[in-house]
Amino acid sequence: MKKVLALMLTLVMVMSFTSIAAFADGVTLNVVTSYGGDDGNRANFEAAVKEYEAATGNKVNDGSATSNEEWKAKVLTDFETGSEPDVLFYFTNADAEPFVSAGKVVSIDEIRAEYPDYATNMKSGMMAVAADGKQYSVPSSGYWENMFVNKAVLEDCGVAVPGPDYTWDQFLEDCEIIKEAGYTPIACSLVEVPHYWFEFAVMNNGTVTNHLDLPEKAGDAVAEKWAAGLNDIKALYEAGYFPANTLTASDAETVELFNAGEAAFLIDGSWKVGYFTENAEDLDDFAIAYVPGKGERSASEAIGGISMGYFITRKAWDDPAKREAAVEFVSLLTSDEIMSKFVTTEVTALVNGASPAGLNSLQQSAADANASITAVAGAVQDSLTAEARGDLFANVQNVVTGKMTAEDAVASAIALN
Amino acid sequence: MNSMIYKKKSPLLVFLIPAFAFLLVYLYYPFVQNIINTVMRIGGLGRAAEGMNEPWYENYQKIMTDPYMRVALKNTLILIVCTIVFQVGIALILALLVDTIRVGAQFFRTVYFFPIVISATALGLMFNLIFLYKGGMVNQLLLHLGKLPYEVKPSGKVIVQWLDWKDQAHFLFTMLVPVMWQYVGFYFVILITGLNNIPQELYEAASIDGADGWRRTRFITLPLLRNVLCTCLVLAITGALKVFDLPWVMFGAGMPENMGWLTGTYMYDQTFNRMNVDYGSTIAVLIVVLGVVLSNVANRVFRPSEDL
Repeated sequence: MKKVLALMLTLVMVMSFTSIAAFADGVTLNVVTSYGGDDGNRANFEAAVKEYEAATGNKVNDGSATSNEEWKAKVLTDFETGSEPDVLFYFTNADAEPFVSAGKVVSIDEIRAEYPDYATNMKSGMMAVAADGKQYSVPSSGYWENMFVNKAVLEDCGVAVPGPDYTWDQFLEDCEIIKEAGYTPIACSLVEVPHYWFEFAVMNNGTVTNHLDLPEKAGDAVAEKWAAGLNDIKALYEAGYFPANTLTASDAETVELFNAGEAAFLIDGSWKVGYFTENAEDLDDFAIAYVPGKGERSASEAIGGISMGYFITRKAWDDPAKREAAVEFVSLLTSDEIMSKFVTTEVTALVNGASPAGLNSLQQSAADANASITAVAGAVQDSLTAEARGDLFANVQNVVTGKMTAEDAVASAIALN
Repeated sequence: MNSMIYKKKSPLLVFLIPAFAFLLVYLYYPFVQNIINTVMRIGGLGRAAEGMNEPWYENYQKIMTDPYMRVALKNTLILIVCTIVFQVGIALILALLVDTIRVGAQFFRTVYFFPIVISATALGLMFNLIFLYKGGMVNQLLLHLGKLPYEVKPSGKVIVQWLDWKDQAHFLFTMLVPVMWQYVGFYFVILITGLNNIPQELYEAASIDGADGWRRTRFITLPLLRNVLCTCLVLAITGALKVFDLPWVMFGAGMPENMGWLTGTYMYDQTFNRMNVDYGSTIAVLIVVLGVVLSNVANRVFRPSEDL
């Protein structure tokens, strides 16, 4: 009797493992995006996901997290170990090459062979092209990187809000005044997010048109440009314009320093506008200004573009149930209506453009700054492999403290590219 | 009762083989593969090896000369010593104290064991807040006690010189304290179980002979605890070589300025962030070798006696 009972219970247990999937209503879609953590568009994304679930009856397993180097490395590792998601929102340049060249994502042409209307609301010319000439991702909102300023701090120090003709020398003078007044001029964690300052420092030593050039060997013209950029950051560090604990602080800490009215300047991107909308005590204290220009770069030249897009993985495509669900998901999230909620001031690839609803003061400030931007270049670091980039940025702390020369840091990164 | 009572040994094999097969596939095979990986060139997790390194012992050469590996070894050695002295030491003192009380022994067991149950990530976040530069609990306390210098600017703004608990002068303390704190309870429970196994009659006989508390502890408790202490030491040493979660959440990649590496965090960074899988495998092999060597040394020194 006991044996029969034991056997029956084991059978029920085994059956329950297999039948859970069959009894579930609709398909479960595994989605990974960068709209997680403290991303400014997280609320919009989660609302769009709920809309999708309600409309299709499918369930979304949302594995989104804040985008940083660790997240990028984790996504690549997931592809290599076979645990990639069904839909992925990821960078579309050199970062995606490992899984694009391994054939793990489906090309737009292949998707359109079955779903001819896929991504037809996007301008074809603005969709990212991979190294093999094919398009694999549907772009979402683009981004810009520019200088956020705390107007209250600037006013207290008697410094004017930077305009589109802000120069590096003016910037250094202003930083000195702000430091004397007892504030921290620049909010930045050099150990965690040196990359915004890197981009603009490099552009300041070159031009917006040659910004995307990659160094080919140590000591060539581009490598020297990069070393000069790193040395500019070092000069700012030695002058004491970064927070005292810039080498041990997290990005969250330094942004909070800026938010709390202790720092004046912060270079960040369009995604941060949502953060301040939610967390600033008085949004009117903040504005978008311009990163000071040097040499041939004017402050009205910025970093921006469309660098991320939605991929559908071959894993999902080969599963007939998930194929439909994935296509519907991407189509909904890149539809004109949903995009208009994500986008306030960023560039999009939409044929009809986005129509964002009323802008708050910070968004309006960003729109005004964007109106004065004369040229935009993509981020050159996106063309580096993950290893090279990781190495370069891990060495910024060594360069600013003098443990390594800027030239050696650049050479070390080039060797890994 | 000897094992001749089981005339047929084959039923035993039926029970032993599945577990052994599992270990073979999920422990021994990956371990051997890891050693093979140290001589291959692998550019990412899950990627196939792109041929052997040139020369094949390149990673071993690198590990001998890598300055960050030296930093990691130094910090890990300090961690091992502190683990032995503080974690096991404090656990021993607590176990001896709790063993002497009758009322509340169970309460103390629960309270001291509790930190182990909490996720290391949550603890890392908590300690990050405690040691936060501006507004962290410790810094606020120091400010209120008047221990932090400050300056009043002409505008009336007060600038406090906060103490950076993660800078070069203080990071070791900030890294070691949470790790120590978390696992004291673990050794405490092991030791108190060992203490419970010591027969009461020995203590009674000793007190009849006139031995006071300290002599009883020194001549009865500690010798009889040797086996358990030896186990605790081996666990402490191997644990310190592998520790990852708490230091990673609090310090990340070698903070501050590549002086805060531990063998566990350095191995993780090289393998997962720098995609240098073969070098990460080499570090893993080094950790195993060090673990085996140091455990054997601990065993020799404390030599658990068979006759106790």
